[in-house]
Amino acid sequence: MNVAVMKTKFEQSLTEQFNHVSARLPGGAAVGVARKAALGRFSALGLPNRRIEEWKYTDLRNALKEPLAVAVDDDTKVTVADLIVALGPLAHLEGPRIVFVNGGWRRELSNLEGAEGIEVAALGATLTAAQDKIGEALAGTTGPDNDAVLALNTAYMTDGAVVRVGDGVEVGKPLLLVFMRAGNEGRFVATRNVVSIGKGAAATIVEAFIGLPGSTAEGQHNSATEILVGDNARVTHVKIAADTGKATHLSNWMVGLGAETVYRGFQLNQGLGLARNQIFATYHGEGAKLDLSGLFLGRGTEHIDTTLVVDHAVPRCESRELYKGVLDGEARGIFQGKVIVRPDAQKTDGKQMAQVLMLSPDAEFDSKPELEIYADDVVCGHGSTAAELDTDLLFYLRARGIPLDTARSMLIESFVGEALDRIEHEGVREVVLEFARGWLANLGR
Amino acid sequence: MLEIKNLHVKLADEDKAIIKGLTLTVPKGEVHAIMGPNGSGKSTLAYVLAGRADYEVTNGDILWNGESIIEMEPDERAAKGVFLAFQYPMEIPGVAGLTFLRTATNSVRKKRGQTELTTPEFLKVVKDRASKLNIDFDMLKRPVNVGFSGGEKKRSEILQMAMLEPSLCVLDETDSGLDIDALKVVSDGVNALRSPDRAMLVITHYQRLLNHIVPDKVHVLAEGRIQKTGGKELALELEQSGYAEFQGKAA
Ligand SMILES: Nc1ncnc2c1ncn2[C@@H]1O[C@H](COP(=O)(O)OP(=O)(O)O)[C@@H](O)[C@H]1O
Ligand SMILES: [Mg+2]
Repeated sequence: MNVAVMKTKFEQSLTEQFNHVSARLPGGAAVGVARKAALGRFSALGLPNRRIEEWKYTDLRNALKEPLAVAVDDDTKVTVADLIVALGPLAHLEGPRIVFVNGGWRRELSNLEGAEGIEVAALGATLTAAQDKIGEALAGTTGPDNDAVLALNTAYMTDGAVVRVGDGVEVGKPLLLVFMRAGNEGRFVATRNVVSIGKGAAATIVEAFIGLPGSTAEGQHNSATEILVGDNARVTHVKIAADTGKATHLSNWMVGLGAETVYRGFQLNQGLGLARNQIFATYHGEGAKLDLSGLFLGRGTEHIDTTLVVDHAVPRCESRELYKGVLDGEARGIFQGKVIVRPDAQKTDGKQMAQVLMLSPDAEFDSKPELEIYADDVVCGHGSTAAELDTDLLFYLRARGIPLDTARSMLIESFVGEALDRIEHEGVREVVLEFARGWLANLGR
Repeated sequence: MLEIKNLHVKLADEDKAIIKGLTLTVPKGEVHAIMGPNGSGKSTLAYVLAGRADYEVTNGDILWNGESIIEMEPDERAAKGVFLAFQYPMEIPGVAGLTFLRTATNSVRKKRGQTELTTPEFLKVVKDRASKLNIDFDMLKRPVNVGFSGGEKKRSEILQMAMLEPSLCVLDETDSGLDIDALKVVSDGVNALRSPDRAMLVITHYQRLLNHIVPDKVHVLAEGRIQKTGGKELALELEQSGYAEFQGKAA
């Protein structure tokens, strides 16, 4: 081996901890093999750093210095009342929910009643029960095989949701997947969701990453979701990552789209010390529509990165991306949107936009759109803007008696509204707005 | 009573003086008109009354009901009853007209120690006042002023004025961009607010508006100061003679 770089403390720890916990990680022999292979990849790759083009703004090797203990068989006590507090605005969202605390399924906090037409199971139990079948599936995962974050996830995943919606089934209420951080010690948590949506089905799935108030602010969550959407299906997929400002959130979505599907993905990031949100979307059939949107709210020294790779592998598909950010203090936002149009993908229609509101002169926004177009009959566009609050509009509002704080909030809300409007499910949209309002209410002047 | 005393105003970030020693008094219950050529500083005066930060008062004072307002924030002035109907009302994408009106109305009510209006109370009042101004209620569900015609924007300003119930109304070229029917509606709206407790300052370029909103006094503003004051007949004279005699004078 020609390992040129010394392992960092974090890399070393996350490589070594495997020996101590692997026996307690769920799954049979094939899963074990997949985990070991993934650990080998992580160990060889090391954490991504700024010399890797895709990570030049988010140098994890530099940012992730302190390793935390890997969470396995966590038994931190969490009551239903705790859950309600941690859920905040999500507590009112009607629908089935499955809850994980520090990476472990909590049956007593979950409520899958009313999950008609939708099969939900815990990944840990499924891996143990189904033995090698699912292990093989995981080995052939749809994500990139050179991604160290995803490799860490495969190596250490303890649990997550396995969701299946049958062909033609239309699920009305949103399914909520809750990943809660709790306890007095920060943990490294790895969870994995595997979602398959049948042909012609319709569903709304919400992932929430939250912290229990009163717990340590530390934590590292590595999350991955694979979602395969069958032909003609319609999916709304929302992630709410809202923590108290210190935790690290590393996330991968691997999205596969069948023909004529409509997939809407939205991600909210707020209160995260360090976040990297990757979405890899691939079209498998013609005529599919992908709509990715999101809102990132940063303050202090928070660092929020959204990196998309949209792969138009087949003709006649549409992609839309609209991301909005609000950055205060010395917060840093990053948006990287790569759109690949393969030689066969004629009639591709792609549009991308990232807009940021800078509330402070010390905030920073880096935007890197990338179009790789190999077909000739396509329409693709992108843009990005960074602006301050409009002082003329602020004056207009204040001249009508509206106090400065309220006026600012109104203008910020109106700025982010366009992205929120992309969430089709009204109840979910309201919840996201409530979270954002909570963040706005604490705006330092 | 509004008392403007020897007011000097310059641009905040440039050394350009715009108002150069303006003195003016408007007692409660009276409507005064300010007329003057383009660029004479009429809008600047209006903005300075409302508290726009682009301008800096370098000398003199503005008293409203005996209290100096020049150090007050715009929202504080609004709570004290100051209202400016903008010459160019701004569009606020993403903020629904009703949300804007309710937030504004209840903000000033709260600051004035009045009870805030509940949603049904508010809607009732808005519907009533909007219909008097020929404003289609559905228009208020749209973002503030976005896609409104010039006339719609001006009527929407008067609706805001009616909702905020100010005691000092400053109308900056409210007649510009209005056809004769709209002018009538807007003037009726303004006249309905005339009262012994209110002072009004009506800024206009043309005499036409003053046929509908009949002023107690007319002031000519040119070169940053009041050049002449008279009764309502002064407006008619100006219509004939123009502003030439007030321009080109050394300030
Ligand atoms: N914000 C500003 N920036 C630059 N120049 C300004 C500004 N406001 C006013 N002025 C200048 O001051 C003068 C008076 O303008 P204004 O008050 O708008 O006049 P009026 O309303 O009488 O037409 C003009 O020369 C105008 O160009
Ligand atoms: Mg003007």
